[in-house]
Amino acid sequence: MIFIHFALRNIRAYAARSLVTILLLSLTTAMLVFATAFMDGSHDKMLSNAVEIYPGYIQITHRDFRAKPSLDRLIFDVEAVARAVEATPGIAAAAPRFETFVLFAADEKAVGGMLSGVDFAAERRLSRLASSRTAGLYPEEDDSNQLYLGYELARRLQVEVGEQLAFVGTGADYSFAADNLVVAGIFRTGLFDFDATAAFVGKDYFDRVMAAANYASHFIVLPEDPRAADQVAAALNDRLDSDYVAESWRTTMEGLVQAMLVDSIFGYLTLAVIFIVIFFVVLIYTWLTVFARMREIGVLRALGTRPGQILQMLLAESVLLALVSVVLGGLIGAGLAWYFYLHPITLAMSEEVFKQYGLAASSMPTTFAPLLILRDMAVMFVLAVLSTLYPIIKANRLRPMEAMHHV
Amino acid sequence: MIHSKTLLVALCLLLLSSTAQALPAEDIIKRVEDNLNGETAYLQLTMVVQTKRSKRTMKMESWSKGAKKSFIRITYPGKDQGITFLKIENAMWQYVPRIERTIKIPASMMLQSWMGSDFTNDDLVRESSISEDYLAELQGEDETGYLIDLQAREEAPVVWGRIRMHVSRNYYLPTTVRYYDEDGQLVRILEYLEVQRYGERFYPSRWLMLPQSPDKAGHQTEVIIEDAVFDEEIDEAYFSKRALKRFSQ
Repeated sequence: MIFIHFALRNIRAYAARSLVTILLLSLTTAMLVFATAFMDGSHDKMLSNAVEIYPGYIQITHRDFRAKPSLDRLIFDVEAVARAVEATPGIAAAAPRFETFVLFAADEKAVGGMLSGVDFAAERRLSRLASSRTAGLYPEEDDSNQLYLGYELARRLQVEVGEQLAFVGTGADYSFAADNLVVAGIFRTGLFDFDATAAFVGKDYFDRVMAAANYASHFIVLPEDPRAADQVAAALNDRLDSDYVAESWRTTMEGLVQAMLVDSIFGYLTLAVIFIVIFFVVLIYTWLTVFARMREIGVLRALGTRPGQILQMLLAESVLLALVSVVLGGLIGAGLAWYFYLHPITLAMSEEVFKQYGLAASSMPTTFAPLLILRDMAVMFVLAVLSTLYPIIKANRLRPMEAMHHV
Repeated sequence: MIHSKTLLVALCLLLLSSTAQALPAEDIIKRVEDNLNGETAYLQLTMVVQTKRSKRTMKMESWSKGAKKSFIRITYPGKDQGITFLKIENAMWQYVPRIERTIKIPASMMLQSWMGSDFTNDDLVRESSISEDYLAELQGEDETGYLIDLQAREEAPVVWGRIRMHVSRNYYLPTTVRYYDEDGQLVRILEYLEVQRYGERFYPSRWLMLPQSPDKAGHQTEVIIEDAVFDEEIDEAYFSKRALKRFSQ
């Protein structure tokens, strides 16, 4: 306890030095906590955007459909899958979709795209199609030729709301399929490729013109708790026929998940470089302050204080300063993370553009995860104490006379 | 004297035989194309598309002039009746009575299935330009025919990296054509079967397209030539965009 008493006395005695150390370390800690919260928050936001716009948290498909999509690998009994979904707990909503590539034509010029038959009412919960509407109406009827068209595709076809276009394609039984469609509404999700290829009609209408009754290319499932998507997918697999498989977004969107992971790794590498710089700044600063007190250390040694006791005293100072700094910085960082969790950071320059997409993607909330904050505080604490070790040990090795004559 | 005459005949036969053997692969392919296309051709066809889950039959008529121009009208089943296709050079249009529209098939859709069959739009457009787009090499021959290896020319805008074609010696018509992708993977086999005489011309009366990729297991498309008339005058009006609607019914 005596060392803590001495350490506290020294911290007070060298108030300016202590204040600079505390400022340096607490600001660094706050920066780490906030950077982690922002990085994780923006990744979560981007992933949830990408998942919720259209692909959904869980997809049920034919076992081989994702690897090799084909009309031979459809869900051939939608009703049976629907029964399995109903029997599975933890599901908030689900609906079948049928996607197929067709040619759209407003005049002689044709454009390839993806025509999907969907349950428009269910999609209000399952995707962000409805909220991405930029013109016209979100179709309500599932048995009419009302088309909900991607913004870029509408631009390529040069059609507007109320105008007619046609599609030609292949039905579920490989027969020829064609019909005229009326543009009811136009959507813009902000995902360029999706907006440039996707168009939707009601599932009942689609089934009729594409000979697809009771067929689907996949089933979309929204779990009550999206974080439990893997568990719900596993529960579904227990109930589904072995021809079909339920997979969570972590599998269906593996590429995006990997991209986010790589981005996180680069983010942490950047932080690591910053920490190395900070480590050496603290080390040099401690070096200077310890050597400024060399005469005092020499006197203590001459009075009979053992090197181990001096080491403990200096370490106690270092630990106390680091502790105060990390707690202070942690609180500042956590406060910022909490504030921007409630009030997401908005990129003012792009806000108007993003609003057109109906995604509010310009707002990036931070995450507020106490465990992550404690982890970052612990990392900073260890780093701060380690950076003071070398100058303390080095100073402690000097003989008393050397230390006393040190200028 | 008799001895020298015999020697002369034998020499002539030998020369003739060596001339026949030396027929370049390019010439064989050219003759095959000429025999398949004719100057003009009118065909009545039945197409049977077999998939894992269904079997569909379509009937159609086809008018063609050389390799560059062709016109197809679907006559069966009722729901597809009147759909017409026009091919001029490498461009292709389609008229669909149900939507009352003429659509130009974009280049990006050329590899899509034609009418749900195992033939592609590209087959209708490019098949006739093999002699221009591929380098032909005679790989073997026997008493029944030739085996020609066709490698895609570097600059040629073609789908297949390589084609191996068996050609019958009797008719200079293909018997089996194997299509390989750029990685050398066999993608499909087209068999020309049952050569019959139509007027002055011999022509395969059954074509069988057999996709080889595992995801097409159980699929095949059979084309049966119900009737064929070659080298008779065909109205040029068939080969205009107006014809798509005009001859739809």
